[in-house]
Amino acid sequence: MSHAPLESALPAMPPGSRWKTFLDERLGLDALAQLAEKKRVPVHRATVFYFLGGMALFLFGIQVVTGILLSLYYKPSPDQAFESVRAIMTEVEFGWLIRSIHSWSANLLIGVLYLHLLTTFIVRAYRRPREFTWITGLVLLALFLAFGFSGYLLPWNQLAFFATKVGTDIAGGVPLVGKYMLLLARSGEEVTGDTLARFYSLHVVILPLVTLAVLGVHLYLVQKHGMSIPHPVIRRYGGEEKVPSIPFVPHFLLRDMVGWYVALGLLAVLAALFPWELGVKADPFGSAPEAIRPEWYFLFMFATLEQTPSHVFGLENKQAVVLFFSLVGLVVLLVPFLDRAAAWGGPRRVLSFLATWAVCAFVVQTGVGLGLLDFHLGTSVATSGIAAVVLAAGYVAYCRFAGREQCS
Amino acid sequence: MSDSPTPVPRRNWLLRLLQWSIAASVAAIFYPVVRFLWPRPATVSGAAEVTAPFTVEELKARYARGEVPPPFNFDNKPCLVVLLPDGEIRAFNAICTHVACTVAFRLDKKDIFCNCHNGVYDLNGQPVSGPPPRPLQAYKVIRRRLPNGQEEIVVSRTA
Repeated sequence: MSHAPLESALPAMPPGSRWKTFLDERLGLDALAQLAEKKRVPVHRATVFYFLGGMALFLFGIQVVTGILLSLYYKPSPDQAFESVRAIMTEVEFGWLIRSIHSWSANLLIGVLYLHLLTTFIVRAYRRPREFTWITGLVLLALFLAFGFSGYLLPWNQLAFFATKVGTDIAGGVPLVGKYMLLLARSGEEVTGDTLARFYSLHVVILPLVTLAVLGVHLYLVQKHGMSIPHPVIRRYGGEEKVPSIPFVPHFLLRDMVGWYVALGLLAVLAALFPWELGVKADPFGSAPEAIRPEWYFLFMFATLEQTPSHVFGLENKQAVVLFFSLVGLVVLLVPFLDRAAAWGGPRRVLSFLATWAVCAFVVQTGVGLGLLDFHLGTSVATSGIAAVVLAAGYVAYCRFAGREQCS
Repeated sequence: MSDSPTPVPRRNWLLRLLQWSIAASVAAIFYPVVRFLWPRPATVSGAAEVTAPFTVEELKARYARGEVPPPFNFDNKPCLVVLLPDGEIRAFNAICTHVACTVAFRLDKKDIFCNCHNGVYDLNGQPVSGPPPRPLQAYKVIRRRLPNGQEEIVVSRTA
């Protein structure tokens, strides 16, 4: 064979590897490849929970792509916003698909984040040294709720207008600074074109930048600490390093991608069968539309606001509700520090019961918000409390009689 | 016993199926996105003719004051109307043939000038100096007497 001298000087290199060497020298790809090789994912009963973070990341990617596409036709002004979204739904090819996927994906994303939070709590993945992963995760949840709230106004329809009016008014219920927060959020006393511009900027510039930064920290922490393994699993295998695991690349990533592919298919089906509605154009002097209610992920707060009497302990209705949910948020934020026994896998009875109660209350209040349950506040509290007690008792009985060593 | 693996046709078939499925999925994702990005059909249709927003008499009066009216919309393009010293009226598509700036009539120099790259046309629309490669597109002009005695200017595309 008559090879050129240069090629015969590099006998061991398969075709293409010279490019690899060229790029690696300049970009340090080997270091990345080593990092990817090193990352492993433990395999146990709760491994399915590990998919939720990746699913949220995928849906966020969908939001970024469809959001950028929508911004190409959307016009953030009270005169044009509604008309431009209508044009997206009727004139732009596949505009209905892109907008419906954006709306559906937003809802699925919030749902996945709620589940991610709950499962992280269940397996106590927040324990030392992952407290900041928990806190950045909660900040991300708050950011995505803000995404949902700010994006809701953009089509400038009657529902959006009143949702924003009510939502910002509730923010005005925060003690002392509420009045100024309201002015800042609305850019004035009322919801106007300035509010729309402000929400648009929030939705497409400010929140994305902040989210990328916090998400970067969150993902860095996940890489740094690796996947958290629940205590019962560690105990069963007799040590963290003895728990079986699979490589992240390609084994876990491929499983992730199967989930993403299914999610994409689900989004396409939802968008095709249930295209997102547009409603009627906002009329600042019209009455609030009948049966107006926020998106499902805000319903529990909406229902609580409806049920709470006009005055509680000398506080106005909205002040009391804002104060209550702020305190709940604070407790959730401090969970890694309140759960003292987490580090050694000791019992977590009070927090577990409170969390069970909170989840039951979330379900009950969402039912109230949907109009499925006609409950007073006391009835809601009692019903969710009883449900929590029954669930806790059932769990204790299950552990006692089934003899599951996982139950601590 | 042989160490060299023999090709397994069924596995190849599955691999081929996987590859085609991935290709089809990518196509199914990109097709709507590309169609979405493609511009909508124009909602404003081009008019066949348009009446200038000034009459011949008004144009004369404005020239006398040293003013030149800006181009107006004809067929979604700027239309420049020029009143020649001998009283003739000409109309051009005011888009410069160089890189599509909008040209202006210079009353003092009696030429048509493009501010972007110093292109100069004469009052027939022919390029005189500077970068423009072709003459300006000329339109047909009809003068129509109004009941008030003034003449309006109707611009249409040359057939």
